[in-house]
Amino acid sequence: MNYAIETIGLTHYYSKGTPHQVAAISDVNLRINKGELVGIIGHTGSGKSTLISHFNGLLKPDSGKVLVDGVDIHKDKETLRNTRFKVGLCFQYPEYQLFEETVYKDIAFGPKNMKLSDAEIKERVIRAADFVGVKREHLNQSPFDLSGGEKRRVAIAGVMSMEPEILIFDEPAAGLDPKGRKDLIKLIADYRKQTGSTVIVVSHSMEDIASMADRVVVVNDSSIAMQGTVDEVYSRGEELRAMGLNVPEITEIFAKLRAKGFDVPANVYTVDQGAEIIRSLSKGRCAE
Amino acid sequence: MIRDITIGQYYPGKSLLHKVDPRMKLILTFAIIIVIFLCKNFFSLGVIAVTAVVASALSKVPAKMILKSLKPIVIILIFTAILNVFYTQGGATWFEWKFIKITEKGVFTAIFTMVRIISLVLISSLLTYTTTPTMLTDALERVLSPLKVFKIKVHTLAMMMTLALRFIPTLIEEIDRIMNAQKARGADLETGGLIERAKALVPIFVPLMVSSFRRAYELAFAMTCRCYTGGEGRTRMKQMKLSLLDFFALFACIAITAGIIVLNHFFTAVI
Ligand SMILES: Nc1ncnc2c1ncn2[C@@H]1O[C@H](COP(=O)(O)OP(=O)(O)OP(=O)(O)O)[C@@H](O)[C@H]1O
Ligand SMILES: [Mg+2]
Repeated sequence: MNYAIETIGLTHYYSKGTPHQVAAISDVNLRINKGELVGIIGHTGSGKSTLISHFNGLLKPDSGKVLVDGVDIHKDKETLRNTRFKVGLCFQYPEYQLFEETVYKDIAFGPKNMKLSDAEIKERVIRAADFVGVKREHLNQSPFDLSGGEKRRVAIAGVMSMEPEILIFDEPAAGLDPKGRKDLIKLIADYRKQTGSTVIVVSHSMEDIASMADRVVVVNDSSIAMQGTVDEVYSRGEELRAMGLNVPEITEIFAKLRAKGFDVPANVYTVDQGAEIIRSLSKGRCAE
Repeated sequence: MIRDITIGQYYPGKSLLHKVDPRMKLILTFAIIIVIFLCKNFFSLGVIAVTAVVASALSKVPAKMILKSLKPIVIILIFTAILNVFYTQGGATWFEWKFIKITEKGVFTAIFTMVRIISLVLISSLLTYTTTPTMLTDALERVLSPLKVFKIKVHTLAMMMTLALRFIPTLIEEIDRIMNAQKARGADLETGGLIERAKALVPIFVPLMVSSFRRAYELAFAMTCRCYTGGEGRTRMKQMKLSLLDFFALFACIAITAGIIVLNHFFTAVI
């Protein structure tokens, strides 16, 4: 079976040929399996956004290749155009891309570009809107009248309505309150479960990634520094810290508990997980 | 990086030309441009051409970049040359065929005009190569500040220019971002007829307008919060001070001007 996305020696420079030239990513070899939920982490400016912009052909590699389902996306114009629909990309702060008069029309923009029938478009818009939790009565309102969080949902629905095989989110939860954050993470995890699509999430939050990803890719200094399961990557705390990343606070708390002699697991990455363990521990004590 | 280049063509460096006080550079460039039009024969124009070349070398801007600034005017150059060759008549006839007649005077005038335009562009682009747009507006404000007597709000104008310059790279970045976002949703910006293409701009233009207004409001609030009330009584972080180098530059320009006036006087005029 082909990989959902495979990159071979991917390299990209910004401002090539000027004194400002920088290699935003260099020689990246990455394989993403079909149906996988991959988290990409890395500190500011490490090249995450640049990397994912190659996956749907928005950026052209200066050297190297991007294969989607085994096919080089820059093979010809037709392939590139189809890749745009096959690989959905939801940028950071997607609410700033809204432009239509009504929420409905905005969500329908992608499917319309795919030249689908009106009936199909309508079905998809309703499905996407319901999925992200946009209220039906909002569909005929102007997107500019919604709150920030609601706008974000509309924008995400705008990408989901294209029903891409691979869906990529760049910092989906940036600027949301803790509850909005949690809801969105759940939404993305649900989306993967329901559709079985491949999902890639870029995030600064180690905790968010831990709560949903099957596999974690760490980008540092424009190349891939580590990859593996959440446990494998997060257990290398020292190396992560050296790259300007921190393991989640809850993990540190549990590490300190272990240091004090409590028998708690070391691989605790989310507050929910931690709460669960503490609860079961205290229950155990009551039973004694 | 697109963010650093800002507008225009500033080339970061530490050459002598970069170090000249921006006010002095502005005034001297302006003066030299006037002097270029005073040149009447090849000797005086030669002085200007040499000045342009020497100044380019002093600026340490790579020749490739300097030549790039001439690219947009190639058409104009060719056009003026052709016009001059055919329409200016006089002196010995070098070539004649039917109604076409090329004369000595025509060719000389064409060359003269071309050298003049090239020098003009070279010298004025050196100003923007060696001065950041911000310094340039700052200098402009100070050079024009005497106009305050006529109740012209020089400071406000300069502030508007500075802000506009400051936000051009931001806007470019924003356009880039919005274009990518819409392309990711399958927007087709490259094909189709004129009307379709114009329509394709809507998904880019609307979000751009929305965010520009938001930015303008935010900026106005931020400036108000920091007690910005206009030009009165404001002091500056970057003081401009004339140094020995500036007087040297001034002296060089005076010498060039004097030389040109003398040469104009002693040799016959081409134009
Ligand atoms: N349009 C551009 N022009 C020039 N340089 C750029 C551009 N976009 C990004 N860069 C540079 O490329 C490098 C990688 O940027 P990128 O946006 O991929 O980082 P990132 O990992 O997504 O960061 P963040 O977490 O802040 O979003 C950075 O050094 C950045 O300054
Ligand atoms: Mg980014």
